[in-house]
Amino acid sequence: MSEPVLELRSISKNFGDNQALKDVSLTVPHGSLIVLLGPAGAGKTTTLRIIAGLEAPSSGEVFIEGHDFTQHQPNQRDIAMIFDNLALYPNKNGFDNIAAPLRIAKTPKAEIHDRVMEMAKLMKISHILDRTPGTFSGGERQRVALGRAMIRQPRFYLLDEPLSSLDFMLRIDLRSELKRLQQESGRTFLFATPDYTEALALADTVCVLIEGEVRQIAKAQELYDEPVDRDVARFVGNPPINIVLARLTRENGSASLKIGSMDMKLPDHMEHSLPSNITDVEIGIRPEHIRMVGSDAAETHLTGVVNDMEPLGMHTTVGVNLGGVDLFFTVPGVQEFTDGDKVEMHVDMESILFFDPKTGRRLT
Amino acid sequence: MAKIKLELVNLRKEFGKLTAVDDVNIAIEESETMALLGPSGCGKSTILNMIVGLEAPTSGDILIDGKSVLDVPPGERNIGLVFQDYAVFTHMTVRNNLAYGLKIRKLAQPEIEREIAKVAEFLSITHQLDRKPDELGASELQRVAIGRTLVTSPEILLLDEPLSNLEAAMRNQMRRELRRIQADTGQTIIYVTHDQIEALSLAHRIAVMDFGSLQQYDTAHNVYQYPKNRFVGSFLGNPPMNFLKGKLSESGGRRAVTSGDSTIPLPAGNLGSDVSAGSDVVVGVRPESLSLASADDPGSFSVPILAIEPQGPETVVTATFGDSSLKVIVPTGTEATEGDSIALVPKSDLVALFDAESGVRLLDSGDRR
Repeated sequence: MSEPVLELRSISKNFGDNQALKDVSLTVPHGSLIVLLGPAGAGKTTTLRIIAGLEAPSSGEVFIEGHDFTQHQPNQRDIAMIFDNLALYPNKNGFDNIAAPLRIAKTPKAEIHDRVMEMAKLMKISHILDRTPGTFSGGERQRVALGRAMIRQPRFYLLDEPLSSLDFMLRIDLRSELKRLQQESGRTFLFATPDYTEALALADTVCVLIEGEVRQIAKAQELYDEPVDRDVARFVGNPPINIVLARLTRENGSASLKIGSMDMKLPDHMEHSLPSNITDVEIGIRPEHIRMVGSDAAETHLTGVVNDMEPLGMHTTVGVNLGGVDLFFTVPGVQEFTDGDKVEMHVDMESILFFDPKTGRRLT
Repeated sequence: MAKIKLELVNLRKEFGKLTAVDDVNIAIEESETMALLGPSGCGKSTILNMIVGLEAPTSGDILIDGKSVLDVPPGERNIGLVFQDYAVFTHMTVRNNLAYGLKIRKLAQPEIEREIAKVAEFLSITHQLDRKPDELGASELQRVAIGRTLVTSPEILLLDEPLSNLEAAMRNQMRRELRRIQADTGQTIIYVTHDQIEALSLAHRIAVMDFGSLQQYDTAHNVYQYPKNRFVGSFLGNPPMNFLKGKLSESGGRRAVTSGDSTIPLPAGNLGSDVSAGSDVVVGVRPESLSLASADDPGSFSVPILAIEPQGPETVVTATFGDSSLKVIVPTGTEATEGDSIALVPKSDLVALFDAESGVRLLDSGDRR
C-alpha cells in the first residue's frame, strides 16, 4: 500500500473554552475521495483550515506524504482549498480564467494551452472558452470556477461544500461530474458536506464528524446499516430513523419490547446479543422497516392512525401514531392519506437497532 | 371549483430586449399552496415582485379576488412577503417584531396581545417572545419572520425560498410545520423555490418555469408523473428521469424505441399525428418506474449493467441503453453484477415519449389526478 497523502494525528483545537475538535485522526490515501460529513458546527471547516495551514491545531500533527507539516506555512503545503463562492474574473474569458493559476506559476505558453484544453474537455466547457463570465449560466460559471481550481496539480484538494450554493438539479449534476473527474484523474479529494445524500453519491469512504469528534469512518452503506451511535444513525437517512424509548422484558427465556402501549416479541437471537443487565433501551427503526399490510395479513400487525403525509415524488413519507408512539414510514410513489386514516402496520423486528439511552452507543 | 384567489393573466415583463416573464397565465385557488418552481433566472422572482407591486408588468394583469390590483400601491395589496434571510428587526424583541405590523395598522393593545399569543403558539415560539433575535437560531428566526407576516392576516402569503438558509434536518421539520400551518389556517400561499422536494412536499399545485415561460401548471402529482415536456421531467426527481434517445418503431400495433442493441417497449396510447415509425424520439422514464423482471417476461427488456451503487435502503444501478445511460432504483441487496445484464419492465403508464428536437411530450397515456 502506498503512503497516505494526508494523515491527521490526534488533532484537537480549542477556541477559548470551546473545544472545536477533539482528538481527530484521519488517514487519506492517494487517489481517494473521502467525505467529511457532519452537521453545521461539527468542525468540518476547522479541520480543513488546519490541514491547509490557515489555523494551527492546539495539539496533534498534520502529516503530508509522510512528513510533519504542522508548523509549515500554507504556501509550503501545496494544497488547493475550494469553497462554494468561487469568483471569476469578470473581464477575462473562460480560457484566461482557467489559465490564470498557470500564468501566475509562469508555466510555458504551449503547456498552458494544452492543459486548459484538457481541463475544458473534462469539465465540458470547451464551447465557452472564448466567452466572458457575464454570458455564462450558473452551471457554466461553476464549471469554469472548478476548472480553474483543478488546473493546478497540488498534492490534494480540500473541498468545503463547493456545491452548496447551487440550484438543486445543478448540484446533483456537478456532483457526478466531480466524482468522474476525481476517478479519471486519480486526484485526491477531501470533501466536506453536511448533506448525507451528497456523501452517499460521492464517497469511497465517509468520515462522520459530530461535535468535533470523529464518530465513524466507514463506507457510506455501512454507516446506514451499522451506525456506531444514535447521532450517526439520525444523521444518515432521510426521512430520518425513528428513535423511540422502549422497555425490554425477559420472561421464561423469551424477550419482548414494550414500545408505548405495544408489546412486541423480540427474536431470540437478538435478545441473546443484548447485555443481560439492560432494560431501558432506545430503539431505532428505519422508515422502510415499517410496512403497511392488509388487515388479514399473516404477519403480526398493529393498527395505526395517520397523522402526517409528505409527498416527495419517488416516495411519500407518512406519519403514523402506533400505540401512542409517533413514527414515520415511507411508501413508494404518490399515495393519498388523510389524517385519521386507520392503517395496519408491520414492524420488521429483525432490523431494529438498539442504543444505550444514556450514552447513545449502539448495543447490538 | 374552489374560488380563485389570485390570477395572473398574460403576465409579461420585459427588461430592455430580455423577456423575463413571457405571457404567464396562472390561477391560484383560495386556501391552496402554489409553488413557483424553476432554476435561478427563470423569472420566478420577477413574478413575485409584480404580485407584491415592486415591479410593474409590461403587459397583462394581476387579479386578486377577481379585481385588478395593478393600480393598488404595494402597501395596500395586503400581501405578506417572507424572504430567505428573515429580515427581522434585530433591536426588537420577538414580541415587538410580531406586534410591528399590527401597530402600523393601529390595532388596540388587547387585540394585538391576543393575535400575538395566537400566532406565537402556532409557531411554537411562545417561550421566546421576550428574547431578541440575536439569541435565536436560524429556524427560530424564520418562524419569527413568518409569524410577523402571518399575524397581519394577509390575503396571500408569499414565501421566497424561506428554507434555503436552514440545515437539512431543520428544513425537514419546517416543511412539516409549514404544511400544518397552511392546513390549519387555510392561508393561500405562493411558495417560490428551486428545490423540487419543497415544491412536491408543500404545494397543491406546481408551476414549473424556465426562461420566463410557464412549462407546466398542474397538481404536484401530475407534474411529477406526467411531465408535459422534457424540461419538466428533468427538473423534478432524484436520481433524475432517464432520457433514452432512439428511433420509434412499430410492428403489429406495438410500439418500441430502439437504440443500438437496446429496445424499450412503449405503452399504447395516442401519438401526435406527425410522429411515425423511424422518427427520432426520447423516452423519459423515472428510475423508480422500472421494475426488475425476468428476461423472458412479456414487455421486459434487458440492458447491460455499468455500475452498482448502494445508497441506504435503495441501490442505484446504472446501465446503458444504446448511447444513453439508464439509472434504475432497486432494493439494496438485489443480486446484480457489473457487466451482466438486467431485465426490466417499465410501469407502462409512467413511460413518457418526447420529441427529440422540441422536447414536447408525444404520447398520451395513463391516469391523471
